[in-house]
Amino acid sequence: MLSRIAAVARKELLDASRDRRTLLVALVSAAAAGPIFLMLIFNLIASQAEKSHDIKLPVIGAERAPALIDYLKRQQVTITAAPADFEKQIRGGDLDIVMTIDDGYADAVADGRPGIVRLTYDRSRDRAGATIAEVEDLLRTYNRQWGGERLMMRGLAPSVAAPVEVRGVNVATPRQSGALILFMIAYYGLFASVIGSLSFALEAAAGERERMSLEPLLMTPATPLEIAVGKWLAIATFNLLVVCVTLTGFYLTLAFAPLPPVGVPFLFSAFDALRFVLILLPMIALMPAVLLFLGSRGRSIREAQANTSLLFFVVSIIPMIQQFTQRKEPPWILDVPVSAQYTLLNRVLRGEPLHFMDLLQSYAAPLVLTAVALFAIARLWSRESTLAGKT
Amino acid sequence: MIVVDRLVKTFPAKGKAAAVRAVDGVSLTADDGAITGILGPNGAGKTTLLRMLATLIEPDSGTATINGHDVVAAREAVRREIGVLSDARGLYPRLTARENIAYFAALHGVPDALRDRRIDELLHTLNLTALADRRAQGFSQGEKMKVAIARALIHDPQVVMLDEPTNGLDIMSVRALREQLRALRAAGKCLVFSSHVMQEVAALCDRIHIIGKGHVVASGTTAELVAQAGAASLEEAFVALLGSGEGLAA
Repeated sequence: MLSRIAAVARKELLDASRDRRTLLVALVSAAAAGPIFLMLIFNLIASQAEKSHDIKLPVIGAERAPALIDYLKRQQVTITAAPADFEKQIRGGDLDIVMTIDDGYADAVADGRPGIVRLTYDRSRDRAGATIAEVEDLLRTYNRQWGGERLMMRGLAPSVAAPVEVRGVNVATPRQSGALILFMIAYYGLFASVIGSLSFALEAAAGERERMSLEPLLMTPATPLEIAVGKWLAIATFNLLVVCVTLTGFYLTLAFAPLPPVGVPFLFSAFDALRFVLILLPMIALMPAVLLFLGSRGRSIREAQANTSLLFFVVSIIPMIQQFTQRKEPPWILDVPVSAQYTLLNRVLRGEPLHFMDLLQSYAAPLVLTAVALFAIARLWSRESTLAGKT
Repeated sequence: MIVVDRLVKTFPAKGKAAAVRAVDGVSLTADDGAITGILGPNGAGKTTLLRMLATLIEPDSGTATINGHDVVAAREAVRREIGVLSDARGLYPRLTARENIAYFAALHGVPDALRDRRIDELLHTLNLTALADRRAQGFSQGEKMKVAIARALIHDPQVVMLDEPTNGLDIMSVRALREQLRALRAAGKCLVFSSHVMQEVAALCDRIHIIGKGHVVASGTTAELVAQAGAASLEEAFVALLGSGEGLAA
C-alpha cells in the first residue's frame, strides 16, 4: 500500500517538475510577493510622512491675500500656480488639493467680514488625506493667530476666545502602517497556502479525467484512496515549498532590503517565519485536499476552475472580516479553519507567545477535513458516473 | 480464463432519460491460450462489460470470475491478473514513454530490475524504442496507442483485455501488435479482443461472441458463425445475426 502511494506521489512530483512554466510562475510569484508588497507599503508610508513637511499647494488668486501666502510660505508650504483644469486633475487623482482665494477676499477682510478661502479636494482619496488635513490645520492656525491679534488690539487676551487648547500627539501613522504590514504578511502567507497548490491540484485531479487517464489508473491494484493520498502528498509537499518561499521573501526583504526609515514597530525574524510555517501547516495540508476534491468533480480543468471560485472567495474574505471588525476573538475561533490560522499569525506578529495547545486546537478541524476530503475523492472515483462522464 | 454468468448492469434513470439496461444477462467464457473476440455495434454493452470485468463497476446481478477470482469479492486479486487497454487510454503528456509505462509498473508492484527489462522488451516489440525517452506530448495517435498497450502489458498479466486496440495504428504497427498477441496466446495467456474491424477479428480470434443490446447473440469460430447465419463472410454473418438477433438471445 505504501509503495503504491509513494509511486503516485513520485509520479505527480515528476509530472509537476516537468511543467516548467507553471512551476516557474508559482515559485517566482511566491518569492516576489514579499518584496513587492513591502516596497509598495513602505513607499506609501514614506510619501505620507514626507507630505507633512513638504506640501505643494496650488493657489488661485494668491495676489488677493499676500499676508496669508507669506504665512504659508513661512510654514514650508510651496505655493504654485493652479492649472486651469484643476478640478478634473483632482478627480483624476493627479492633484491632492487646490486653494482658491475669493475675489472679494481683500474687501471682506477690510470690512471686518470673514474672507472666503475655498479648498478643493477629493476626500475619498486616502493618499490626499494627510495633505488635506495639514492645509486645513495651517489655515485654522492662521485664522486663530489673526483673530488673536484683533482681540489683543481691543485689549483682550487671545485665550479669551480659545478656552480649550487641543494638542494632538500623532502616533497613528507608524502604528497603522505597521498594522497594514502585519495584515499583508499574515494575509499573503495564508493566501500562499491556497494558491500555491491550485494549478497542480486541478491538473492532478481534473487533468486525469480530461486526458482520459483516470480509468487505466483505477484499473491497477492501487485503490482510489491510495491514489488520492499519493496525489495529496505530492501537492502538499509542493504547497509547503511555495509557502516557505513566500515567507522567505518577506523575511529577507524586512531583514536586509534598504527600506525607507519609517519605524516599523516589529521584527519579523527567521524564528517568526518558522512559527508561521507551523501555524500554516494545517492549511498547507487541507487546501490541496479540498482543491483535489473540487478538481475531481470537474470533467475538465476549466470546469474544475469554476468550482474553486467559491473557495477563494471564502478564504480571502474571512481575514478581511476579522481585520475590519476588530472584535476580540472568541475562544472557538481556533476551531475554525482559516480564521484560526489568521488569528495565530496575528498573535505572532504582535509578539505574543504561541501556545502549543492553541496550535493543537487549530490543527484539529483542518486535519479532519483533509481526511474527509480524501475519502470523498476516493468515493467519487469509484462511482461509475465519474468514469462515464467523459468529455 | 474468464467465466461470465448472466451478468446484468442497469444504469438508473436520470432526469428525462430512461434507465438503461446496458448489459442484460451476458454469459460467456474466454479460455487461456486463446484469443476471444467480442463483436458488437456501438452501444451494445461492450465497454460496460469490460469495465465490470476490470472491477471498475459492480454488476447488479450475475457473476464473473477471472482465473477463479470473483470480480466483486476479490477485486484486488482480479486487478493483479488483468491487463486492460480500455476505451480511455490517456497518457501523461509530460512524462516520457518509458516513464508512463514505469509508473504503471510501480503501481502493479513490478520489481525495479524486472521492470526495466520488460519495458525495453515491450518498447522493442512495439517498435517504440526510438521514442522511449521522448515526452508523450508530441506522439501521434498510433504512438500513444502503442504506449498504452505497453502500459497494459507491463506486469505480464495472465488475462489481457483490449478494446479496439488497432484504432489509429498504421499497417506495420497492426502487424506488430498481431504478432505480439499471437506470442501471448502461445504463452498460454487469455486474450479478449474487441474490434469493429471484421478482418482483424476474423484473422486473429479463435472464438467470437457477438453482442447486441446487452445480450450475447451468437458465439463460435468465424466458420461456425458464418455457417450459422448462412452468410458468405463474417461481416454478413454479423449483420444477419444482429438483425434477427432477438430470437437467438442466450
